[in-house]
Amino acid sequence: MTTMPEIMSDTQLQGYTDEQKYQVFNKEFMPHIDSMYNFAFRLTMDEDDANDLVQDTYLKAFRFISSFEQGTNAKAWLFRILKNSFINDYRKKSKEPAKVDYQDVETTYNSDEASETEHTTDLRFETVQDMIGDEVASALNSLPVDFRTVIILCDIEGFTYEEMAKILDIPIGTVRSRLHRARNLLKDKLKEYAASMGYNKNDD
Amino acid sequence: MSGTLHSSTTVGVEGRQATAPMKESCEHQAECLKRIQSILDGGATEEEKEHFKQHIDICKPCIDMYHLEKCIKEALQGKVEKKCCPDKIAAAIRSEITK
Repeated sequence: MTTMPEIMSDTQLQGYTDEQKYQVFNKEFMPHIDSMYNFAFRLTMDEDDANDLVQDTYLKAFRFISSFEQGTNAKAWLFRILKNSFINDYRKKSKEPAKVDYQDVETTYNSDEASETEHTTDLRFETVQDMIGDEVASALNSLPVDFRTVIILCDIEGFTYEEMAKILDIPIGTVRSRLHRARNLLKDKLKEYAASMGYNKNDD
Repeated sequence: MSGTLHSSTTVGVEGRQATAPMKESCEHQAECLKRIQSILDGGATEEEKEHFKQHIDICKPCIDMYHLEKCIKEALQGKVEKKCCPDKIAAAIRSEITK
């Protein structure tokens, strides 16, 4: 394989010397390793798979380092490779229901305004404030992976809509609507969770 | 970037006195929710920001939505554990590329 289709194709190949390659790798790629690991873990939900995914991604990034232009957005570039490796190599063997038909899920959660309006009602912010991290994390983990992904990228990693569009290879409009739907799903899960834990009672 | 936007909208929500009577129901909730999310994400257009400034103080359901969305975002950012990469993985990567 001489090219890497998942890397932004509009960049010119950089003529790095070996020494420059190591320098770019250490200065621009390695500082993101914890964020990359966290992303890998939240995608695979398995420590061994996350280890392998991060390692594969960094080795791939080094192999194709000439496609990376120094000083540009290394974090988004790396996240894009990780996301593609996940889809191509890990999703198949993951324990999730085989390739969730998210078109189907998206349709369900985008059907009509009425159903969207329902989501905005009775989860109270005080309830969310009372929850601990593990409870919020399990609500997040229960979302189908495509929805989980946009929330991780936006809310946990702080990527802009434009960066997310590049990482996920989808238009900005789709980023926004997928996020919107992901958050409606997340609120449903938080609400269910709150109800099962006896939070959110109207007794204050 | 989102810092400056954030502080000005917070003043709008919590500080300013509303002059018009407070709306108890909102007929555009789905639209408003999308706009609120764009504002909190720092990805709102000028038009969305302007609309938000004009309306956020006078609509109770929108104020509630704003607080809930903000709170969920903060919980995701601040409360969910961030896993760190094990040192042995970083070491394995470094040794692999220098082979």
